[in-house]
Amino acid sequence: MNDPSSPRHGPAPAAQGLCGPPFCPRHEHISRRALLKGGLATAAGAVVANWGGLFNSQSIAAEAKQRAKRCILLWMNGGASQIDTFDMKPGRPTAGPFREIKTALPGYRICEYLPKMAQQVGKLGIIRSMRTQSPDHPDGIYHMHTCYKQSERMPHPELGAMVAKYLGQEDADLPSFVRMGPVGNAGAGYLGPRYAPFSIDRGGKLPPFTSPYLPAANEERRNELLRSMEAEFQRENPADPYESHRVAKESAWRFLRARSLFDTSKDWPAHQDLYGASDFGRGCFLARKLVEAGVAFVEVGQDNYDSHADNFVCHKANMQVLDPAWSGLLIDLERTGLLQDTLVVWMGEVGRTPVINNRAGRDHFIHGWTVVLAGAGIQGGVIYGSTDADGRDVAENPVSEGDLFATIYTALGVDPRTKHYVGKRPIWATPEGSKPVKDLLA
Amino acid sequence: MHPPPCREFPVGPFAGIASIFLCCALAACLAITAQAAEAPVRQAIDAEVRAVWAKEKITPAPKADDATFLRRVHLDLVGTIPTYEEARQFLEDADAGKRDKLIQRLLDDPRYAQQQAAVWDLTLFGRNPPNTEAVRYREPFKRWLTDKFARNEPYDGWVRDLLLAEQDGSESFYVQFNNKPEELAEAFSRIFLGTQIQCARCHDHPSADLSQKDFYGMAGFFVRLVALEQGPLEGGKPGKKYKIGEKSSGDVLFAGNAKELKPGMKGEPVKPKFLGGAPLDEPALPAGFKEPEIKTGVKSLPKPEFSRKEKLVEWATSPANPYFAKAAVNRVWAQFMGRGIVHPVDSFLDDTKGALPGVLDELTRQFIEHKFDMKWLIGELVRSETYQLAGRGAVKEALPKHFERARIRPLSAEEIMAALKTAGGDAEQKSDGVTETYFVRYFGEPVNGQGEFQGGLSEHLFLNNSDNVRAFLRRKKGNLADTIITSSEPWEQRVDRMFLSVLTRRPSESERARFTAHLTSDPKTDALVEEAIWVLVNTSEFRFNH
Repeated sequence: MNDPSSPRHGPAPAAQGLCGPPFCPRHEHISRRALLKGGLATAAGAVVANWGGLFNSQSIAAEAKQRAKRCILLWMNGGASQIDTFDMKPGRPTAGPFREIKTALPGYRICEYLPKMAQQVGKLGIIRSMRTQSPDHPDGIYHMHTCYKQSERMPHPELGAMVAKYLGQEDADLPSFVRMGPVGNAGAGYLGPRYAPFSIDRGGKLPPFTSPYLPAANEERRNELLRSMEAEFQRENPADPYESHRVAKESAWRFLRARSLFDTSKDWPAHQDLYGASDFGRGCFLARKLVEAGVAFVEVGQDNYDSHADNFVCHKANMQVLDPAWSGLLIDLERTGLLQDTLVVWMGEVGRTPVINNRAGRDHFIHGWTVVLAGAGIQGGVIYGSTDADGRDVAENPVSEGDLFATIYTALGVDPRTKHYVGKRPIWATPEGSKPVKDLLA
Repeated sequence: MHPPPCREFPVGPFAGIASIFLCCALAACLAITAQAAEAPVRQAIDAEVRAVWAKEKITPAPKADDATFLRRVHLDLVGTIPTYEEARQFLEDADAGKRDKLIQRLLDDPRYAQQQAAVWDLTLFGRNPPNTEAVRYREPFKRWLTDKFARNEPYDGWVRDLLLAEQDGSESFYVQFNNKPEELAEAFSRIFLGTQIQCARCHDHPSADLSQKDFYGMAGFFVRLVALEQGPLEGGKPGKKYKIGEKSSGDVLFAGNAKELKPGMKGEPVKPKFLGGAPLDEPALPAGFKEPEIKTGVKSLPKPEFSRKEKLVEWATSPANPYFAKAAVNRVWAQFMGRGIVHPVDSFLDDTKGALPGVLDELTRQFIEHKFDMKWLIGELVRSETYQLAGRGAVKEALPKHFERARIRPLSAEEIMAALKTAGGDAEQKSDGVTETYFVRYFGEPVNGQGEFQGGLSEHLFLNNSDNVRAFLRRKKGNLADTIITSSEPWEQRVDRMFLSVLTRRPSESERARFTAHLTSDPKTDALVEEAIWVLVNTSEFRFNH
């Protein structure tokens, strides 16, 4: 993975001052981070994934592979229909008008509007047996981002924040949790603002307050003066909050220097055919760029699947955007060597009812729906669980929110039973009893 | 009436006059300290804290210097830093009793009430209250609470009014939990009884003596409350007015351990039961009683046959309540000292004694004896040596376990805005491109679940690049930047003024030299001065109260 001929290790644009995987040999970061992690685990009192053999140089390469893991979440906002995508019911009253097509996996068929994804099925771990608890939008969005119920009013962190904490680089130039489009609603919760999502738009447009109002020379001049103040103060006041303040300031400065990485105007035209000319496609391309640059978690939302009326019009249009974007992302990740380290999750907050309502719509459904995983840690070409003949309920191997998250965390090398405290109350990354789906794990 | 010592005075030519004089003096003196026949409670605080240090072999920080104390007590009591003039006057004042005088002045400052109300408002609502739309705009509530502090109403009194929710503006606390008696019971117990009971919502507490029945017993007190819409707020403000009604019937249902629940299980009604106490003695409803239907748009309910709310308030705010006064004292202690004596402040279920059991008991006893006088309590705390320790020391934690140095707490979003305004030196500054919601968004929740500060990217991007911050710093007629630029004093003195205005202290030698060099490095002084002030407001020293 450190092959210098790989496109990820092209010459670094010196002016950017970037220091991330694309520009320096990755193992240097990894070994340093490994030591950092070892220290952090005890200081925070939290259980972290067991990295093993931190000081064993022979295992560094293996460690590097594990620790470089990233995650991209493709968020199907509103809830995509399982019956019209990956769990079709041909010939049944719930089937709807879409036809099936063959996939790369003999005997497995998916919707005719996902022809490119049909070719990628060998990379996918498909769970057709999601049985979940939160049937609506705000609560479902929360639940499927945190694997806990919103009604508990406990500040649970999103998957992205958890991944940022355990897989993000302490000294990265870019935020560890970036998101775009319609996405999660829980934020970093009890993990704290350090792991908060950084929201951009799918074209790469940055949020407010990311453009300096001073000329660069003046910026640098005032920053230097601040650095000298902080250094003098902290020599006599070596307390944690001061250090955290100083470190956050430094990371904001690094971000401001590196922010041109979010600009896709130059390289998008060359990738438009692969990802499809859509906002969502462009967001997927940017996600690929970001994980390549070392960002631990990127979420890209696609709106809007909430088709209580005209479900088929809605889904046809959405799939025509989704199919090239998702398949393009998988192809691009594979050809840049990133797929083995990058978990790609496809999900929304709910599925859609098998019954078609009188407005040709499908409503929210939580008794048997589909989530798809691919990439890092996932066994491709696996179809897990099933629904009954009409898709009215799970027929075998139900998977809960907690089971799904335990699977995701395990695939990423994060302990699903990682424990944190809110006040004195212990909280685990996944609820008690959650089990990873072993059949899906590579 | 003369106090007894007068009779023992010696007889002599001037004895009569002397004794009259002395007796008057004594009487006056006694009148002033009428409640304080015993030593001030702050001495008890300092004695026990010192004993802990001796036992733990800890060398505490020295006493804070005047500048440090001045900034700290200003932020804690009135929610902003002192102005340049206030800082200079205080530092130059040679009066040995100047700290006491300052404390008294700040306790009497109108901003004292605003600041304490702001602290309690955040405790009662947090940054993301439930039923957000209904309580996001709650100026009437804030005014109501500020008025309580302005009158120094006893703690038990204003909490009673809050929980009865019959005064204009007081309703919002309940409105956020409308139709959620379980969440209300959690919030009530956490805030006013210092006890987290929410774990017992789903299962009996594994270690402490708290069952699910106890939890639902508390929820039973709140299940009959209804928030009734009264129409829009005056003056076209967002949000609505509410009244709190109480029904005569209705119970919470309890079905058992959450893990064993099956869909469709309804559960049994649970009668109200006081936390750690007896079930509520409740008369049966009159035979044939039928709860009137609450129609949409109804604005008030008749007084209930029997008010559970009143019974709860009576129990909760009684001096005999085992949690109420203690939890309050501990919470106010944590507000000023960083950690609670029992820490976190809502963990009385696991620990009733805490780090300084004697102090907690004595403060509680005297708080009750002083009729829940908040100003007395706060005055005692900030006058203690413990509060007035320096902020320096080897210990790295923000909140040292044994109170061996001052705590380090991040300024709240509101304090940052107020401090920027004070530092910037433009008292009239109002809208001027400054949006409060941005400050709340970027500075509102700076800690993780353990209460530890975490610097965030968004906070710094905002500080670095936003006109909302710049508005306070850039030159404007009469403000700090303008004063510095137009001054004819030597640059060293102007640097002193800048430091006093922003950090409430004079610069060190090296700081003075560095800033002077910066400010004279270019003929374009305006830009340099703005940069220098920006640097000071971006320091750790400005970000925290220490």
